[in-house]
Amino acid sequence: MSYSLKINGAAVDVDAAPDTPLLWVLRDHLGMTGTKFGCGVAQCGACTVHVDGVAARSCQFPLEAAVGVEITTIEGLAPNAQHPLQRVWVEANVPQCGYCQAGMLMAAAALLEANPNPTDDDINLHVDNICRCGTYPRVRAAIHKAAEMMRG
Amino acid sequence: MTDVPTLSRRGFVLSLLAASGALVIGTRPILAAVVDAEPWTKDTPTGAHEFTPWLSIAPNGQVTVMVTTPDIGNGVVTQALSFVYEELGARWDDLRAQYASTSSDYALGGVYSKVNGSIGYFGGRSTSDERRITYMTAAANARERLRHAAAAQWNVPVGEVEARDGLIHHAASGRSTPFGALLAHAASVALPEDPKPKRREEWTHLGKDSPAKVQNPLVVSGAAVYGIDVKIPGKVYAALRQSPVMGGRLKSYDFESIRHMPGVRTVVEIKPTPANEKNILPSPFPMETTRIQAAVAVIADHYWQARTALDALPIEWEDGPGGKWENTQAMADAAMAVLDKPGGKVDFQAGDARADFAKGGKIIDASYLTPYCEHMPMEPLNGTALVTDKTVELWHPSQHTQMAFTLAVQQTGFAPENVTVHQTFVGGGFGRRAYGDDARMVVAVAQQYPGVPVHTIWSREESTRQGRYRAMVAGRLKARLGEDGLPTAFEAHGSGGPGMNFRGVSDTVFPQIVPNAHVETHILPDLHVLNGPYRGPGYNSGAFIMESFVDELANAAGVDPMEYRIRLYAKWQDKAWVKVLEELRDKSGWGQPLPKGQARGVAIGNWGMRGKPFAGTTCGAVAHAEVTQDGKLTIHRLDIAFDSGRILNRDAVRAELEGGAIFGLNMSLNEELNVEHGRIVEGNFHEYPMLRIGDIPQLHIHFGGLSDNERYYEIGEPPVGPVGPSVANAIFAVTGKRLRTTPFRKQDLRWGEKSASAG
Ligand code: FES
Ligand code: FES
Repeated sequence: MSYSLKINGAAVDVDAAPDTPLLWVLRDHLGMTGTKFGCGVAQCGACTVHVDGVAARSCQFPLEAAVGVEITTIEGLAPNAQHPLQRVWVEANVPQCGYCQAGMLMAAAALLEANPNPTDDDINLHVDNICRCGTYPRVRAAIHKAAEMMRG
Repeated sequence: MTDVPTLSRRGFVLSLLAASGALVIGTRPILAAVVDAEPWTKDTPTGAHEFTPWLSIAPNGQVTVMVTTPDIGNGVVTQALSFVYEELGARWDDLRAQYASTSSDYALGGVYSKVNGSIGYFGGRSTSDERRITYMTAAANARERLRHAAAAQWNVPVGEVEARDGLIHHAASGRSTPFGALLAHAASVALPEDPKPKRREEWTHLGKDSPAKVQNPLVVSGAAVYGIDVKIPGKVYAALRQSPVMGGRLKSYDFESIRHMPGVRTVVEIKPTPANEKNILPSPFPMETTRIQAAVAVIADHYWQARTALDALPIEWEDGPGGKWENTQAMADAAMAVLDKPGGKVDFQAGDARADFAKGGKIIDASYLTPYCEHMPMEPLNGTALVTDKTVELWHPSQHTQMAFTLAVQQTGFAPENVTVHQTFVGGGFGRRAYGDDARMVVAVAQQYPGVPVHTIWSREESTRQGRYRAMVAGRLKARLGEDGLPTAFEAHGSGGPGMNFRGVSDTVFPQIVPNAHVETHILPDLHVLNGPYRGPGYNSGAFIMESFVDELANAAGVDPMEYRIRLYAKWQDKAWVKVLEELRDKSGWGQPLPKGQARGVAIGNWGMRGKPFAGTTCGAVAHAEVTQDGKLTIHRLDIAFDSGRILNRDAVRAELEGGAIFGLNMSLNEELNVEHGRIVEGNFHEYPMLRIGDIPQLHIHFGGLSDNERYYEIGEPPVGPVGPSVANAIFAVTGKRLRTTPFRKQDLRWGEKSASAG
């Protein structure tokens, strides 16, 4: 079946079964591979995207539900990947293998959008993605740093 | 197929970096060396001149460095660039990394894989002397030839020109010329001998700067191409299911029932490898654990179609001998039972332990068990292969490219000249992707569907249940204490399935400093669950067993556990053990009072020493833990100190220690695989939990344990050993309960009145 989606501000058409997870629509049908597959069961957050500005785990988000909403992926987070979080991430050497990081960034960006001055508890609650490499201390520090930059 | 136009992509990367370069947001200089989003060997910039197989320079001054070690998150690509940067005199911004080609390696007689011997490509040894000297010599060689070329052109003595910022300068005349303009001439310069790399005292970059990983911009933009991201025209997908009992056989499957499903092309059967296969090429790692397990794969146009059809496919298996294990306990009992039997392999022997034990007195005897654990790299196992009637092309997130190459040859029997492996970015390794069974399976699936690139993706559940695990290890340790409370005799037995080793007990300091010591291991061939290397193989279990036991000795001797270890390990000639402990004692607040229900525990170990002093990396941990009376455990703080000899990139070292400490904490608190009727039970993260950001204690990494001994040893594995026992020892200090198995989350930690009321 054919669906029209709005991804990173652009309209795209996809031909796939209605229950296909948005994750695989993005990765496989649209070639947008920045969004990662980690678990498929909404546990790890590697597949995090924004749906109408809110963090969502795309592996459990069926294609048919993605119609009529604004979807943002890591590729569209900021022009030239210059979101303050992305800039701090590079500088603070946050990534190790890097595989979980797109999901971390999307979760963190949604948090900062809703809450420009998050506490540690806010981060614990909203950025509960899995990083097997153990980048957590740097993720936390980088979110605080980016929040500070964004507040000016 | 491989000639994807790369210029536009590179253009994008460079502009992205240039933009971020304008932004100074901290003290780290923004450095902009690059690696391509597709990091494998592909193009050589037009007109580039190869100075050595490790290094080429293009007319525009760009320096391409061949990196043999897949970066699994440890920064080895950046480290290779740092070695070259130190010697060459190029600008950092002109450096570009690319994964060395296994085909070139084969064609050139092992030019890359010879460095560091059989594990030439392996990710763990980017800072070994051999690797460092190879890069620095290659860079020094290029620099000297450029200097000679410029000096000849200007007709001045070579001694008057120097290489700096991508230029050769002649100070006296104020002339300078870029590297790129000297290439043709430099090519004809023959040096009488390879120049010696700079001495350490002359370094201006190594050990001083801490460049961040060069691939970071690609990672944060989502552009880095991991194995799962490769884009190949005409690619189809395979969803894989292997015999749920390792070593089992496929009985039947019913393709007809899924034939009609959307996108489904076919179902292929993958036959197990016979046990008596002969190696075609010398294999960096043992071939046994790479043998193909019986499997079926559904091939479809899209991954989700393949996956959905596989879930609907009726499959019948024959379990084979492994099916006899009703549960994990039965396997653990078997491993425990063999500990008291004679006939193990002797790993260590000194003095006469039996005679010393016969003297009686204070004897401590304890048994331990650590379970099977899975690596759980965040990128599930996967890879893409195109197999024709005589060629293989493989795109793979390997932890050891040469092993993947060797196995592609092995699986197909094709001539090595016809096999190409493209090393992608890797979403975590931890040992799982080193032995290459995944690469081999990818090739085996594609072999059944020739002429089309097939991307095989393990589901998370398949990845978890078809691992090459951290071995289950059973151990029994016995020691006799002398008058001073220190051990006079030691006897240890370890056991597990094939692939298990008892490092961390057999090759650590303890047996060496006890006058009478005997360590042996027993392998049980019928434990069918396959083992493989897992971050610090052997050591991760061994350190838990050894350092929990040392804590038991300290307790029996009535001595503070920190003080006891300092006295004990002072007997070892490598004084860094004591230095690391003292650093921890001084920095962790050891001995300072804590509220009731809280305590500190300490542990220490060494990864890589193999029984020798001044070798490997010694690493210690102090855990500050709280256990409520009803058994709730919180780790408030971890202090880590270490001695790898010396270090090269302080921030990279810190990052690895942070990650390793968290890995060790997760392993000890959470990780355990169970077996039912021969099958692995746990499949996904809800059954095999991982620490999240809110669970992470305060982490303090201390550098004061470094001895300045002349080595730059590994960093990723060392903290995985001591963190678990430091927590267990803290728990003991609070509760009086000695934890002799992991994971701790499964154990009853209630104490005081609660413990009594719980019976
Ligand atoms: S892949 Fe979606 S949460 Fe893990
Ligand atoms: S950086 Fe490797 S999983 Fe997070």
